[in-house]
Amino acid sequence: MNPLFMSILLIVGLAVFSRTMIQKVQLLMALEPTDRANHIMDRIKNMVVIAMGQKRLVGRKKEFASGLMHAFIFWGFCILLIRSLNLYGEGFVKGFQLPLFGDGSILGYLYIALKDIMEGIVLLMAGYAIFRRAILKPARLHNTWEAYFVLGMIMVLMISDLLLDGARYNLIVLFNNPDHLHFFNNPQYGAEFAWTPVSVGAASLISGLSAETNALILTIMFWLHIITQLTFLNFLPLGKHFHVITALPNVFLKSLGYPHEQTKLLDLEDESVWEDESLGINHIHQLNWKQGLDLYTCTECGRCKEVCPTYTTDKPLNLHDFNDSLKFELLDNADNLIKRAKLAASIKEDTDPEKVEEIKARMAELASKKALIGEVITEDTLWACTNCRACEQVCPVTIEHVPRIIALRQGQALMAGEYPQELNPAFKGLERNGNPWGIGYDKRAEWADGLDVKIMADDADVDYLLWVGCAGSFDDRSKKVSVSMVKILQKAGISFAILGKEEKCTGDFARRTGNEMMYQMMAQENIETLNNYKVKKIIAACPHCYNTLQHEYPQMGGNYEVIHHTDFIDQLIKSGKITLNKSFEGSLTYHDPCFLGRYNSIYDQPRSILQGLSKQGLKELDRNGEESFCCGAGGGRMWMEETIGKRINLERSEEIAGKQVTTVAVACPFCLTMVEDGMKELNKDEEIMTQDICELVAKNMA
Amino acid sequence: MKILTTVKKVVDVELNIHVENGAIVEDGLQYVINAWDENAVEATVQLKENNGAQTTLVTIGGPDNTDIIRRCYAMGIEDAIHIDDSSLEKADSYVYANVLQKVYEQGEYDLIITGKQAQDTDNGQTGIILAQNLDIPCVSNVVAMEVLDDQHIKVSRLGDAGTEIIELELPALVTVTDSINEPRLPAMRGIMMAKKKKINVMDLAGLGTSFEEVGGNDLKSEIAEYMTSETRQAGQKFEGDAAQITAQVVNLLATEAKVL
Amino acid sequence: MAKVLVIADIKQGVLKGSTAELLSKAKAIGAETAVVAIGSNIESLTSELANAGSDTQYIADDPSLELFSAGPFASCVVDAAKQFEANMIWFGFSEGGKAVAPRVAAQLSCACATEITDVTLSGEQIEVVRPATANKVIQRIKINSDKVVAVVRAGAFEASPDITGTQNVVKLSSPAPDLKAVIKELISDASGEIDLADADIVISVGRGAKDQAGIDLVKELADDLAAGFGSSRAMVDGGLMAHNKQVGQTGKIVAPTLYMAIGISGAIQHLAGMNGSKTILAVNKDPEAPIFNVADYGIVGDLFEVVPILREEIKKLRS
Repeated sequence: MNPLFMSILLIVGLAVFSRTMIQKVQLLMALEPTDRANHIMDRIKNMVVIAMGQKRLVGRKKEFASGLMHAFIFWGFCILLIRSLNLYGEGFVKGFQLPLFGDGSILGYLYIALKDIMEGIVLLMAGYAIFRRAILKPARLHNTWEAYFVLGMIMVLMISDLLLDGARYNLIVLFNNPDHLHFFNNPQYGAEFAWTPVSVGAASLISGLSAETNALILTIMFWLHIITQLTFLNFLPLGKHFHVITALPNVFLKSLGYPHEQTKLLDLEDESVWEDESLGINHIHQLNWKQGLDLYTCTECGRCKEVCPTYTTDKPLNLHDFNDSLKFELLDNADNLIKRAKLAASIKEDTDPEKVEEIKARMAELASKKALIGEVITEDTLWACTNCRACEQVCPVTIEHVPRIIALRQGQALMAGEYPQELNPAFKGLERNGNPWGIGYDKRAEWADGLDVKIMADDADVDYLLWVGCAGSFDDRSKKVSVSMVKILQKAGISFAILGKEEKCTGDFARRTGNEMMYQMMAQENIETLNNYKVKKIIAACPHCYNTLQHEYPQMGGNYEVIHHTDFIDQLIKSGKITLNKSFEGSLTYHDPCFLGRYNSIYDQPRSILQGLSKQGLKELDRNGEESFCCGAGGGRMWMEETIGKRINLERSEEIAGKQVTTVAVACPFCLTMVEDGMKELNKDEEIMTQDICELVAKNMA
Repeated sequence: MKILTTVKKVVDVELNIHVENGAIVEDGLQYVINAWDENAVEATVQLKENNGAQTTLVTIGGPDNTDIIRRCYAMGIEDAIHIDDSSLEKADSYVYANVLQKVYEQGEYDLIITGKQAQDTDNGQTGIILAQNLDIPCVSNVVAMEVLDDQHIKVSRLGDAGTEIIELELPALVTVTDSINEPRLPAMRGIMMAKKKKINVMDLAGLGTSFEEVGGNDLKSEIAEYMTSETRQAGQKFEGDAAQITAQVVNLLATEAKVL
Repeated sequence: MAKVLVIADIKQGVLKGSTAELLSKAKAIGAETAVVAIGSNIESLTSELANAGSDTQYIADDPSLELFSAGPFASCVVDAAKQFEANMIWFGFSEGGKAVAPRVAAQLSCACATEITDVTLSGEQIEVVRPATANKVIQRIKINSDKVVAVVRAGAFEASPDITGTQNVVKLSSPAPDLKAVIKELISDASGEIDLADADIVISVGRGAKDQAGIDLVKELADDLAAGFGSSRAMVDGGLMAHNKQVGQTGKIVAPTLYMAIGISGAIQHLAGMNGSKTILAVNKDPEAPIFNVADYGIVGDLFEVVPILREEIKKLRS
C-alpha cells in the first residue's frame, strides 16, 4: 500500500507500545520474586485448557451464552492475528502473502474461510456484548466508557476488514480489477471469494457505489484497520484490556498443586523485617511479581463479585474493586518503585555499609506513602473475606485473590498489631489451652469417655490417628459427630487412636487471619507431638484441620498422609468394611464445604456416601460443588460477628430451606454450626435437620 | 506519674482441679497470669499511652514467673521487679502486703494498681491491706480510671448501690475488676522486644528485708487442708405434655422442695 | 466465749436478710452477738436489729455516712469491734463488705477470710471453710490470730425463725471522713425494682425468650411471685436486658431459695452466678441443655407454652 506510511505507523505504534510494555515489565520486576519456572508441561496444559479453551467461560453452566460470546471474540482474535500479519505485509508489498497461508495451499484457503466466518461472528458477538452491557445490564458488569470503547474498536476492526475485503471483491469481480489487486486464485481450490461469504455479503452493501468510491473505501478501511489496531494495541496496557496480553501468561504462571499460592512461612525471628516492614504485605512493593501480574490481568468481569458470599450479603468486599485499588496504587507508584528496585540492585556484597545505609534510606523514601489498609483498602473489606475461594474458582484468568488477603492480614496483624479485637479471646484460648474457646485442655478427650477409644499416650501402635479437632472435642453439637465417627471406625475394625489432651488446635484460623506467630506456635507443638509418636496417617473430620495438616504442616516438618473423613468412609464402604443400608427416609441435600471442595477437590466421595444411604437419593442445591456457597465461618470469621449486611449463614440456610428437604448433610463442623444456627433463626430447625455425613452413616450402617 | 502494678501467677482456673489427701494435685496443672492482674496491667499501659505514666510491675514467685513478666513487657510495661524467694511459697495476704510495701518504699510511686483478687485464693485482701498499712487512700472494684492532674485521679467503683464516682488524692491504691478494660494481646513487636528486656530479680535479702520481717513466721491464718468442691447434681427432668409436667413440677416445688 | 460482731447490711434504709442469717449462725455456735449499723437516719432500725438476733447494737448514724465510703465505715466497725471486744467480725456478702473487711482486719492486725461458708469454734481455735480457685476447691483454714474478720457467702447461713435479741444501743462517734477519697457522685442502679441479691425467688430469662414479647411474658411470672428478675448474658449483650440484671460470673451472684432459669441454656458463666441457689427450676426446649445438669427440677418444653401454665398453677396453689 504505502511502505513509508506503514513504516511510520508501525515504528511509532510499536515504539510507544514497547515503551509502555517495558515500563510495565520493569514494574513487575521491581516487586518481590517468586519461582514459577517449573512444571512447564503442567503449565502449558493449564494455559491451553483454561486460557485458550476458555474453560471457565464455556465450561460453566451459568452464563453459558455470555461465556460463549467472549470465547468467540477471543478465538476470533487469535485466528485474526494471522490476517493482521498479512495486512501489515500488504502495507509494504502489494499482494503480500504469508508463507503457508498463501493461495498455494489448502491451509491458506481454509484460513481465509475461517477468518471470514470468525469476523462475522466476532462482529455479532461484539454487538451482543454491547447490547448486554447497555440494555440487559447484568449486575456484575462495570459499565465504563473503556468497555464500550474497546467493543467499539473491535467492531471497527471487524467492519473495516470486512468492508476492505468487500471493496476488494467489488473492484475485482464487479469492476474488473482496474488496480490489479491480488486475490487467491488457485486452480485447485478456486477463487477466493467462493470461500468468503461474509466479505461477499459486505461487498453487496457497497456494490452500488462507483469503482472509485470502492477503491477509496478499500484504502480508508485498510488504514483505518491498521491505525485502529495499533491504537488498540497501545490502549491495551492502559486498562482492563491489558488482559488481552497478560491473560495467557497469567494462566501459565498460576499456582500448581495447591489451588493458590501457599502462605509463605515467615521467619518471625528475623529482626530485619522490622526495618523493612516486610512481614506480610504492608507496602505495595511487597507483592510478588505474579501478584502484580494478577492485578494487570483483572478484566473487571465481576464474576468474582457474583459468587463472593460477603459481597452478595452487602459487605464491602468487592474483589474487582479490591484488584483495582491495588492496581492503581501500584501504577501510581510505578516510577518510584522502578527507581527503588534499581537502588536495591546496586547494593552488592562488597558495598560499603555506610553506602548501604544511604541507599536504604533513599529506598525508604521511594516506598509507597499511602497506608495500604486504611487508605487503599478499608479494614472492613480486608477482614470480611471468608477465604472460601469462590472468586478464584470462577475467575477466567486465574487471579489468586485469597493469598493476597492473607498476606495483607499478616501485615496488619503482625506489624501494625491491627486486627479485629473480637479475635482476641480466640487467640488467647489458643495460646493457653490450645483451643479457641479457651476451655481447659484437660477436658479435650472428655467426649470420648466410655467409648473405649485409645489414646496415643497409652498406645501409639495404631494404623491411624483420628484428629478430632477443637470443635469435635469441645463443641457440644460437634462432639456428637466425633462419637459417630468413632462408631464407624470401630464397626469397621480400624486400628486408631486419638491424641486426647495432647491435641491442640491446628492453628488454621490463626493463619487465615494473618497471625503467623500463633499459627507457628500451634503447628510447632503439634508437629512435635505427631513426630514423637511417628504418626504416618491421619483421619480428620474437619476440612480446615485436614487442609492445614495435609498442605501446610509440611512447611514446618510435619509430613503426614491426611484423609478427610468422608473420603475415608467412602473407602470403607467401597472396600466392604462397612455396609450402608438405604434406610434414610426423607429428602436430602448436601452443602459442600469450601475447604473440602474448592481447596481439595473432594466432591464425589460425600455424594457417593449419601446416595448410598438415601432412599430418595440426593437433591443438589443450586449453588453446589465448585460453586458451593460458603457458610460464612472460614477465614477466621467463625470467631467474629457479622455486623454489616445480611448474615452469610442465613443466606445459605434460606437457599437450603428453599429446596424443601428434610435433612441437609454437611462435612465440616463450622458448616454444621452455621447452617444449624441459620435453620434455628429461620425457625426451621424442627423441619430441616442438619447432620454431618458421618452421623447419617452411623445411623444407617448395617 | 509513676505506677506500680502487682501481678501474680496463678493456676489456670479453666482446668479441672483435683484434690487428693487434703492437697491439690499439681500434675497436669498449668499456671498463667491472674486475669484481674492482666486488667491491671492493661489499665497501667493505657495510662502510659494516654498520660505518659512510668510503669513498673512487681511479682512475687519463682523463676516460672519470667514468662508472665515478659508478657507484661510485651503489653507495654517498662520495668519489672521480680521477688523470687523460696521461703515465700508459704505466705498469706499480710506477707505479700509487707513484701509489696518494701518494694513500694524503694521507689517513688504515685499509684499502685492491682487486680481485685487472685484467681487461686479469691481472697481480694492483699491490695486493701497494703493500702491500709501504707495509709494511702484505696478504692476497690474499679471499672474506670481517669487522671485529673499530677495529684488526683478519678475512678468509678461498682458498689452495692450503684456506680460510685470517687476522686482520689495520690499516692493511692486501686484494685480493678474485669469490666475496666479488655487486656490486649501483645503485638508481635512487643513480644520481640520483650525477649531482650532486663528483669530486676531479687530475693528478700536483696530487697533489704527477711522472711521474719515480712511476717513469714507469724502467719495469721493457714490452709489446713483442701477439699473437693461439691458439684451440683442433676435433679429430675420432665418431658411430655406441657400442662401435665408443669403442674407436676409446681406441686413438687411446693411439697418436696417447699419453696413455693 | 466467742463474741461475734455482725455488720448490718442496710440498703436504702432497709435491713437486709443477711444480718439475721449471720446472727443466727453466731447464736448457733454459742456466741454473744452484737451488730454494728452504719448509715444515716437508721436509728429507727434498732428494734429490727435487735430482733434479728443481736444483744447489743452499735449505731453510727450521721449524714456523712449516707453514702458508702470504705475508710469511715471501716473506722466505725473497728470502733465497735474494740468496744465489744469482738473476736469475730462478720460481713454479709456485698461489695461494701469486701472493701471494708480487709481494712478492719489490717487495723486489728488479724486474719481476714473472704466468702466463708462455715465457721467452727473448738475451744479457742477458730476455723473457717471457704471456696477458692473459682469454686473448684474448698479450703479449711486455721485462724492463728486471736480474731478473725470474715465476709460470709450469700446464703451460707440460715436465719433461724425463732431468733431473739435484746435492745442495747451504743452510739458510735462519727468517724472522720476520708478526705483523700471523696465521693463525687453516685449513679444508682435502676431503683424501684427488686434487688436480685436479696430476693427470695429470682427468675432469669435467657435467649429462649427471643425478644421483648418473651421477656414481658417471663416478667409477668416474676411479678406474680414478687421475684427478682434477672437475665443471662445473652439477653444483656443483645441489648434486651440491662447490665445490672445479668446473673453470672461477670454479673451478679445470687443464692435465692428458688431460682428459675427460663430459656437459659446453662453456660458455665451463668451457672457460676446461681448455682448457690437452694432450689433450681429450669425450663428449656432443648433436653440436652447443660442447665438440666444442675437443675433440681427441669421442664423440657417451650417457655411460651410453659410459663403461662406455671402462672396458672402457681395461682391455683396460692388460692
